[in-house]
Amino acid sequence: MEIDGNTLLIIIIILFLFFSTPGGDGVSSQYEFNQLQSFKSQLNTEYESFEQMSYNSGFRNITGFKLSFNDVKDDPQRNATYPIPSKDYDRWFQNQDYLILPEDVTTRVKNEVWSPNMNKPEENVFPPNITSSLLGRIQLISNNKHPRIPMPVPRFYESPTEFSDVTPPEGETYFKDWPAHSELHNVTFDTGELTIQLTHVDKVPSQLGSQKKKFFNSQTDRWKFLNLRISLSDKSEHERHSLYTNAIYDVRRGRILAMTESAKFHSLFAFPHYMNLQNDNDNDDEDTFDSLKKAVKEYWDKSNFVKTLTMGDLQSWYDESILKCEYMVFLQLSPWNQYTRDQIKMIDDELNWPLGRPANLSHLPPVTVSKGILYSPDCGVELEFHDAKGERYGLKIRSIRTHLLFGIGLFIAQIYLLLCQMHHTNTPSSVNKISVYCFSMINLVDGSLATIYFFSASILPELYLPLVTSAFACFILASVFETRYLISVYASQLNERNVGISTLLRGGHSTNEDTDTATAVVPDESSISGSLYARFFFMLVSFTLLSMSARWWPRKVRMMFEYSAIIVLNSYWLPQIFRNAIKGTLPRRNRLRNQRMNEAMGVRRQNKMPLLWKFVLGTTFIRTLPVVYVFTYSSNVFRHHRNVRFVVVLCLWLLFQIAVLYSQDILGSRWFLPKLSIPEGYSYHKAMPAQDLLEHGSTAGYTIDCAICMSEVPIRVEEVPETHKVDEQTYMVTPCAHIFHTQCLENWMSYKLQCPVCRSPLPPL
Amino acid sequence: MSLKRITKELNDLGRDPPTSCSAGPVGDDVYHWQASIMGPPDSPYAGGVFFLSIHFPTDYPFKPPKIAFTTKIYHPNINANGNICLDILKDQWSPALTISKVLLSICSLLTDANPDDPLVPEIAHIYKTDRAKYEAQAREWTKKYAV
Repeated sequence: MEIDGNTLLIIIIILFLFFSTPGGDGVSSQYEFNQLQSFKSQLNTEYESFEQMSYNSGFRNITGFKLSFNDVKDDPQRNATYPIPSKDYDRWFQNQDYLILPEDVTTRVKNEVWSPNMNKPEENVFPPNITSSLLGRIQLISNNKHPRIPMPVPRFYESPTEFSDVTPPEGETYFKDWPAHSELHNVTFDTGELTIQLTHVDKVPSQLGSQKKKFFNSQTDRWKFLNLRISLSDKSEHERHSLYTNAIYDVRRGRILAMTESAKFHSLFAFPHYMNLQNDNDNDDEDTFDSLKKAVKEYWDKSNFVKTLTMGDLQSWYDESILKCEYMVFLQLSPWNQYTRDQIKMIDDELNWPLGRPANLSHLPPVTVSKGILYSPDCGVELEFHDAKGERYGLKIRSIRTHLLFGIGLFIAQIYLLLCQMHHTNTPSSVNKISVYCFSMINLVDGSLATIYFFSASILPELYLPLVTSAFACFILASVFETRYLISVYASQLNERNVGISTLLRGGHSTNEDTDTATAVVPDESSISGSLYARFFFMLVSFTLLSMSARWWPRKVRMMFEYSAIIVLNSYWLPQIFRNAIKGTLPRRNRLRNQRMNEAMGVRRQNKMPLLWKFVLGTTFIRTLPVVYVFTYSSNVFRHHRNVRFVVVLCLWLLFQIAVLYSQDILGSRWFLPKLSIPEGYSYHKAMPAQDLLEHGSTAGYTIDCAICMSEVPIRVEEVPETHKVDEQTYMVTPCAHIFHTQCLENWMSYKLQCPVCRSPLPPL
Repeated sequence: MSLKRITKELNDLGRDPPTSCSAGPVGDDVYHWQASIMGPPDSPYAGGVFFLSIHFPTDYPFKPPKIAFTTKIYHPNINANGNICLDILKDQWSPALTISKVLLSICSLLTDANPDDPLVPEIAHIYKTDRAKYEAQAREWTKKYAV
C-alpha cells in the first residue's frame, strides 16, 4: 500500500495524541499536581494516626470520624475540627459517645445482625468464596429520626476557579444544600428491591500502570477483602440508589462490614474498630482488632496506596462525596453447616478447575445474607433487609455456559432449516413469492442477538469463548445466510417497487401501464446487496442500542417496550400471509392436479407454496423456545420475572399466524378476500387479435417464430375460426407482447424474469 | 432442445450468411464450432482474419455459449488466452440471441473497444492516452498473427 502525505500526517497525529496523554497519575497541570500532593499528604497523616491506634484509643484526625454521634446530638451545628476541645482521644468504647452510630443501631447490629449465637467460630462453617449477586427486598426503618453527622470535604478537591490558579484553596466545605442531581436525598420508598454484588479482592496492583497484581493478605483464613456493589430501587424503579463499597468479610463468623469511601469518609481506617461490635467481650476484641489492623496495613503497604493514587481517584472520591450518602453496611451470612471445611474447599476447587470431584454442584445452597442493616451517618437513613439470596458466581457461569451451548444448537438448526428453504425456492419465480419483511424481521432479531453476544463477550471474560462462539454462529446465520437470501428475494421483487397493491394483485403490469417500469432493465444482484447491507446494519445498530438503553428505563416503560417488541418481532409470518395473498396460489387440490397435468406435458412448472412447512414450524419452535424458557421458568439464568399469561398470548398469536398460513395452503392463498375485490391476474395464455399478430411479423399460417427455440408457434387468433383448435396453454404472451412456447419461456423464467427479446421485466408465474 | 436449436442456427447461417463472419461445427460434434471474423475495414484489424472457438453448453440457449479467440489479437477487451469481455456472453445473455448476432457484436467490439471495462488494463490505458500507439500496435499484431 502506498502511503501519501495525508495518510502519513494522520498517522503522526494519532501517534502524537497517543504518546502525549498525561502520564500514569493523570496530572496535567501545576494545580492538579498540588491537588494530588495535598490528597496524598492528607492520607499519609491519617495513616500515621491509624498506626498509633489501639483498640482502646479513639479515632484522631481521620476524615469522617472526627465527630461521634453524641457530639452532633448535643450540638447539631458542630464543626468537625481536630482536636475537639474536651474530647478524650485516649479511650474508646462501643457507645454513641465514641461511635458515629446511634445507640439503637449499634444495639440492633449487636443483637440482631451479628448475633452472639454466630460468635462461635468452631461451630459454624461459612463458605470462604462468596462471589455472587444477591437479590432481596429492603425496608426503610427511618430517614429522619437521627441527626446527621456533618462530614466536611477539604476544599483542595475543588477544580480551579481561574485558569492561572496554581495552589488549591485550603479549608473545608460543609455541604448544607446538596446539589439537585445528587443521590444525597432521602430514601423515600418504604420497601424496595435490593441487589448486592459481592466480589473478592484477593490481589492488588502494586505499581501505577502495572497490570501485575500481588496477593496481600496473610490471614485469608480470618479476613477477606470484598468489593460490594449495592443497589436499591423502589418497585417501579423511579428512585434508585447505588453504593460502591469496600468490605471486609470475617470468614470465621460470617460477618461482613462494608463502608463507602469518599473524600468526606475515609472508612478504610475504621474497619478494625467497627468490626468489633459484639456483645460478649471476652478478650477477643483486642485480638480481632490487632489482626484486622494488620490486614489493613498489609493492604495499604502492598498496594502502595498513597503512591498509586491518581487524579482519577481524586476526582472520583470528590464526586462520590458530593453526589452520594456515605453508608455503613452490616451483614450476617447464613452458615453452610451441612458441609465440613474440607468439603467446601473441594467445592471451591471443583468450581475453579473442574476435574469431576464428587462435589454435587447442582445442590449447592445459595449464598444467603440472613440479615443486614444499612445506615448512613451523614444522611441519617437507616434500612434493613432479611434473606438476600444468590447463586455462587462460578455456578452461574457454568449454567450460562450450558445455556449458550444449547443456543448454538438452535442456531445450527436454524441454519439447516434456512438452507432447506433456500433449496426449496431456487428459481426467481419462487423466490419472488417470499416476503422481504418476513425475513427482515427474522434477520433483525438474529443480527441484534449477534451484536449483544459480541458486547457481552467483551464484558464477561469468564464466558469469552462460549459467547464468541455463539456470536459467530449467530453472525453466520444472520449476515451470511439470511442476508444472502434476503438479497435474492429483494432482487426478484425490484420491478414491483412503486407499483400499487391492486396492480400487484393483478400480477404485474396492466396493458396501459406507464412504460417506465415496463422497459426498465432489472439491475444486478450485486448492485442491490450494497444498499441492502447498509440498511440492514443501520437497522441493526439502532435496534440494538435501543434495546440496550431500555435496560435502564423505569420498570413499567421497560416492560411495555419488552412486551410490545416481542409481540411485534414474533409476527414474522404476518408479512408472508399478505405476500401469499398478493401473489395468489391455488388451493392445494388444484395445484396437485395441475402438477400431474404438467408432468404429463413435460413442463417443469413452479407452483408451490413459497415456504417449506418444515421451515415454518422449525423456525417458530426455535424462536419461541427461549422466550418460553425465560418467561415461565422462574429460576432462569437471566433472573427474568415470570409471566405465563404473556407466553400463552404469544404462543396463541404464533399459532394463529401458522393456522392462517396453513389455510392458505389448503384453500388457496386468497380465500379470505372477497371474490370481487380480486382483480384478474396477468394471464400469459390468451388469444391474440389478428392485427397485433401482423405487427409482430406473422406469416400467413398465423404462426410466429419462438425466439428461444426458433421454431414456429401456432397461435389462436380471435378473428380466425380455423386457428381455434390451438390450445392457449401451448404458448405464452408476455406483457410486452412477445410470444414464446410455454415450455421455452417457463424454462427461461427459472433463470431470469426478463423478456428474452426486449429485456423488460416479466411478472412471475 | 439445444440440439434442435443449434441445428436451426446452422441452417440459418448457411441460408443467410452474415457479411464478415462465418461459423460451423468442427468435425461431427455439433456442440463445438469454429468461427472466423474478418477484421472490420475501418479498424486497425483490417485485413486480418481472426478465428474463434465456440462451445455450446447442454442447456443452450438458456446459458450463453463459450466463445474465445484462437488467433492472438491486441484489444483492451480480449486477453492473451482469447477470452472476450462482453456482457451479452455473461449476465446479459438472452435466449433470443443467436451465434450470428453474437459474432456481429464481437465485430463491433473490434471497431469500438470499451476501455472503461477492460480485460487487459495496460492496453486500455494506451487506448485512452495514446490512440495512435494503440492502433500501430494492433496493426502490427494483425499483420503478425492474422494475415
